[in-house]
Amino acid sequence: MPDEEPSVLRQLARLSTIGVSLVAATAIGWAIGYGLDRWLGTGPWLMLVFTLFGIAAGFLNLFRDVGMMGRGGPPGSKSKEK
Amino acid sequence: MATETADKRSGGTGFWIILGALVVVNIVIALKFGSRDIALRHAPIVQLPNFLHFLGVPGAWMPAHVTFTWLIMAFLVLVAVLGTRALRPVPGPLQNLVEVAIEAFYGLLDQMIGKQGRQFLPLIGTAGLFILTSNLLGNIPGFQPPTANWNTTVALAVTVFLSYNYFGIRKHGLLNYLKHFCGPIRLLAPIMFIIEFIGHLARPVSLSIRLFGNIFGEESVIVILLSLAWLVMPYLIWLGIMLPLSLFTAIVQTFVFIMLSMVYIAGAVEEGHGEEHRH
Repeated sequence: MPDEEPSVLRQLARLSTIGVSLVAATAIGWAIGYGLDRWLGTGPWLMLVFTLFGIAAGFLNLFRDVGMMGRGGPPGSKSKEK
Repeated sequence: MATETADKRSGGTGFWIILGALVVVNIVIALKFGSRDIALRHAPIVQLPNFLHFLGVPGAWMPAHVTFTWLIMAFLVLVAVLGTRALRPVPGPLQNLVEVAIEAFYGLLDQMIGKQGRQFLPLIGTAGLFILTSNLLGNIPGFQPPTANWNTTVALAVTVFLSYNYFGIRKHGLLNYLKHFCGPIRLLAPIMFIIEFIGHLARPVSLSIRLFGNIFGEESVIVILLSLAWLVMPYLIWLGIMLPLSLFTAIVQTFVFIMLSMVYIAGAVEEGHGEEHRH
């Protein structure tokens, strides 16, 4: 496949991934905190902290995806080509 | 096909050990919780009765999506065996088809992962062909695509998740791979580790939910439209709008799944882990 501008299909595919991964990271963080709270019995605190971590992780993924999109490839693929 | 990369497949014994462990864990969970009615089936309101259900082939003890998984597996294995049974320099039609598929996957792998990408063809190719066949099957009324059930997509996504972590550990060693999670700044390392850990755990969740949600929603709309087919108009809507749209969704979702898998693998096996100081 020749190295060219990322196709519309590829852009669309990548764009459609953003929303779900943002929510999923938050949900995972909440679930970890909730589980730890139930296990350790430490009030709502771990849940809050891990939800914040989850939101941070979601935004980290978001920024990575968007940063990737401008170059149209995964990190490292451009520098390694030829 | 596969001349220089034939010696290094994405397998290795560790990969098969992981897969075997997955199967064992699955069986244990099924035996332990199966009697307590773990929800293997979705709410049946929006599923068309599939034709195997009418024939009564698997019986009630086996959920329909597993049966259709077997059907698709049989179909793919049959095509692969027939296509590669007698390899000729001038390929026949079936061998031509198989070669075009393999070449397409090779092109994607080269583009997304780079020159070490071709060793991951067995994983990516299998997942891609299975998901594509399954999604396209959903457009035929009477067939129920296995990917419209969350259990199937979770199995696929967990396999991808364990695989790319295994590839990363095999490439860099456990400590180096974990060091990659900690980010460049030493002071922030514990926080970064937790955040990266959650981010990585979110990957199989979002992979599986995306695929399942798209196909299940599409199936539901088709079923509702077809159940109103006697009004004529919904039938026309199905033919004119939903059928092209769901064909498009099927291809795009397959593409998204394998593309994200390749991005994850590329991030895991990448040389020098240059990801963090690029941002």
